[in-house]
Amino acid sequence: MTGKPILRLDDVSKRFGGVVAADEVTFSVFPGRIHGLIGPNGAGKSTLMNLISGIYRPDGGRIYFDGRDVTDAPSHKRAVMGIGRTFQTPRFLQRSSIRDNLLLGADLGSGYGYTASFFGRKVTGFEDYVEQLLEIAGFTFEWEDDISSLPYGQRKLLEIIRSLLGAPRVMLVDEPAAGLNSREIENAMGLLDFAAKEKNIGILLIEHSMDMIMNICRDIVVINFGRVIAAGTPAEIQSNEDVIVAYLGRNLEA
Amino acid sequence: MSKKKNAFLSMTVFKVAALSAAFAAFAFYTPRFTNDYSMMIMNVSLINFIAALGLSVMLGMGGQLSFAAVSFMGAGAYFVANLTNGRLGVIWEPVPVLAGAVLFAAFAAWICGAVLFRLGGTYFTFATIGFVQVTWSVYLNYKFLCGGPDGVSGIPVIRFLGMSPRNYHDWFYILLGFVLAAGFLIERVRKSRLGRSLASIRDNEIAAQTLGVNIYRTKVIAFTIAGALSGLAGGLYAMHNQFISSDLFTFDMATTYVIMTMLGGVNNTVGVFVGSILVTMLPEWLRPVQRYLKLSYGVGIILLMIFMPMGLAGLCNAVLKKLSKRILKKTRAEPDTLGWEK
Repeated sequence: MTGKPILRLDDVSKRFGGVVAADEVTFSVFPGRIHGLIGPNGAGKSTLMNLISGIYRPDGGRIYFDGRDVTDAPSHKRAVMGIGRTFQTPRFLQRSSIRDNLLLGADLGSGYGYTASFFGRKVTGFEDYVEQLLEIAGFTFEWEDDISSLPYGQRKLLEIIRSLLGAPRVMLVDEPAAGLNSREIENAMGLLDFAAKEKNIGILLIEHSMDMIMNICRDIVVINFGRVIAAGTPAEIQSNEDVIVAYLGRNLEA
Repeated sequence: MSKKKNAFLSMTVFKVAALSAAFAAFAFYTPRFTNDYSMMIMNVSLINFIAALGLSVMLGMGGQLSFAAVSFMGAGAYFVANLTNGRLGVIWEPVPVLAGAVLFAAFAAWICGAVLFRLGGTYFTFATIGFVQVTWSVYLNYKFLCGGPDGVSGIPVIRFLGMSPRNYHDWFYILLGFVLAAGFLIERVRKSRLGRSLASIRDNEIAAQTLGVNIYRTKVIAFTIAGALSGLAGGLYAMHNQFISSDLFTFDMATTYVIMTMLGGVNNTVGVFVGSILVTMLPEWLRPVQRYLKLSYGVGIILLMIFMPMGLAGLCNAVLKKLSKRILKKTRAEPDTLGWEK
């Protein structure tokens, strides 16, 4: 691998009671690249994302962001440093306009404090950026409309846009394709591609749609029962024996 | 896009204009049709609004139910009482003392919030109930600063540049000034990063964190703002009624403030204003059926939560939305039906 990783997990472990959700996981995310994180249901993919964004604390191992040890940093600090994320089901402000929801992302990107914002410091240029992103996302909206007026698929795309407004350097994207139609999936891939290529963001992508994973990821990490069972390029992963076993089960006669 | 933007803008302009007109009418007509006694009650409802506004920052914007408003009202009220009526040997200027009361209450709220927000959600709410009981028993029993059960009397009215209100009608205008200032302050908060961060905490704490919101710090700041507003309300109350006692700062009163906030619309400044006036005036209007007042209160709250969880403001918005939809439909149909014929 070339260049310095922006995010590195080093032997990260997490247990919930007797369940080992992450077992000495080690991998790196590089700027400008889309990394796939795949595995069967319950393999511990979302747990890893929560460990990276600081929702959970690991029981062991270290997490490094941009060369700094962030294992003990609270999640809001990690967000400020540049770890953005989206959720499996989009999480927005209820009963609020689309503008307010996107401003939340822009607030993070601007770095203005509460006082500066109170005294009228406004985030500038973010509307143009949103328009640019909407072109890739393939839909438009009215700024003052309620967030609930958007269909599910567009809300999922909008969450990626909100995350981009926060000017992240790493983005954790949790199942962006789930519940989207094929055109929307294409647009989601377009957004991720833009983020990686134009903004040099390192992306960690959880997805069950193998189409999407094999299409846009250069590197793939496969986990099962909290453990990394394979890592490599899409071609390598597709022919990996362990991966096939994890997904399809072992043939007892073989 | 631009058409709808214009429609939205004109809608906002219309709303602001309608609100200003309503407020001006309220300010102009209320004193003309109100006797001295009713004016006093009306003034108290304005004071209550300021305290309830703090609650709406906590509950409406931040989704944190706190009963502690009365505690900090008490802090502000006793602060003003002690430093202006001479019982501690000092008689200071009312206005600086009032400002001091706000700072004092804010500081107390900051300390209290920093401790209580170690707890989350419902536990925090229960802790504020305990806090209200503690402060109430202090206000009731601490003779030296709070006068014990007798309370503190002889508090001088507000005085600024040698001018003092002569009666409750004068007070009305002074309080309106404070009401406007507090309302604008909170509206500004709502439209700034703090308001959005609070809303994100209310709706989803995990998403809030990943958007860089320091949940603990943001809650403590909101609690401090609420405390400052409560302190202001308490200080004003002390100067307005010239007598305070622990009866004003009971848990019962604390629930009343929550009702004021909920009735009008928990996240809507105008709603809170209407709610404060209704709840404060209601006992006066319903004097003939006073015996059933608490009963109807209880039933009313249950119905309120079922049928309009967002209070009067929510109801109003829903009706407006429906109306505007209908009107939009009509205007779209107009060219066909009313063309050249008439």
